[in-house]
Amino acid sequence: MTTPMLDITKDVCPMTFVKVKMGLQKVAPSGKLNVRLKEEALKNVISSLKGEGHRVTNVSREDAVYILEVERGGS
Amino acid sequence: MKEADYKELKKGGMMRQAEAGLFSVRLHVVGGRLGTRQLEAIREAADRFGRGEVHLTSRQGVEIPNVPQGSLAELKEFLAPSGVGVGVCGPTVRTVTACQGCRVCPSGAIDSPALAAAVDREFYGKPVPHKFKVGISGCVNNCIKAEENDAGIKGWIEPRWSGEDCTECGICEAVCPTKAISRPGKGMQPVIDRELCIGCGDCIVACPAGTLREEVRGFRLFAGGKFGRVPFLGKRILGVLKTEAETVAAVAAVLEFFRLHGKPRERFGDTLKRTGFEALEAHVLGKEARP
Repeated sequence: MTTPMLDITKDVCPMTFVKVKMGLQKVAPSGKLNVRLKEEALKNVISSLKGEGHRVTNVSREDAVYILEVERGGS
Repeated sequence: MKEADYKELKKGGMMRQAEAGLFSVRLHVVGGRLGTRQLEAIREAADRFGRGEVHLTSRQGVEIPNVPQGSLAELKEFLAPSGVGVGVCGPTVRTVTACQGCRVCPSGAIDSPALAAAVDREFYGKPVPHKFKVGISGCVNNCIKAEENDAGIKGWIEPRWSGEDCTECGICEAVCPTKAISRPGKGMQPVIDRELCIGCGDCIVACPAGTLREEVRGFRLFAGGKFGRVPFLGKRILGVLKTEAETVAAVAAVLEFFRLHGKPRERFGDTLKRTGFEALEAHVLGKEARP
């Protein structure tokens, strides 16, 4: 099964955070979600992911866009 | 009244107004914090001795304007039991300003009100060649504008690359607001330029793998800042100070340097332009080295 992709490149805080949270709710624990985001969203999105017990397991880049592979933590 | 007497009153926080016979009375406030009991006493005093109003100063102070000269002593006595002291003016260490700090503000890195209280306890109202202002920001967002003060302090988080689990994703480099982090090449440790680093800790917060960690969470000192007619931004001195006690000791050494080298009516920044910031740093470090 391919990992679902969530694009938040057109969103600003706090919608970036809200959409990632909602996206992860559709994923089973230990399941993965890819998130496309812009540089300015990196700090807040990653810090909130870490704060909620999720893990960023891979980071890649397509020009100005970053793609985070997020593993859902907890239950 | 003699000019010398006005000067004495001014030193004690009683400032002569434009209108003869009236004074604006400055109160002792630390880090902009007042209890409700103090506020009630101030309200009552402003009604009794002034014209029912207070002025909030530009540096978190409170003044009661329009107090007749004959009521000054009585006003002071009235406020004392509520723990409200009168302020200072003239060539002294002035009101210590502070933000709410880490106990209230989610961004706070240090307990700025606690440090303000310690600095106030040690130095408030002490004589110096010219007015000397201390301002404390709990983090580098710098709400208190540390660099505008003769001695400014900021909460500071210094990062350290631990090497553990680093995936070389480059996010630390991307999020750093001053481009202080660079990666020389694949498999190599990122370089953190300590001169460019502003101690915000964003790289630590954003690091997905937790590779970047806090080396120090402490206090950064800025010296020689002022506003007024010719503004000048204070410059960063020393390394990151680790404890409140170390910071108070550094401020003590800075004040001692000002007393040794400052001329009457010369702001600290102007003294430093003559002596150089290196001389100040050497003096402060010399103090630290002593047992």
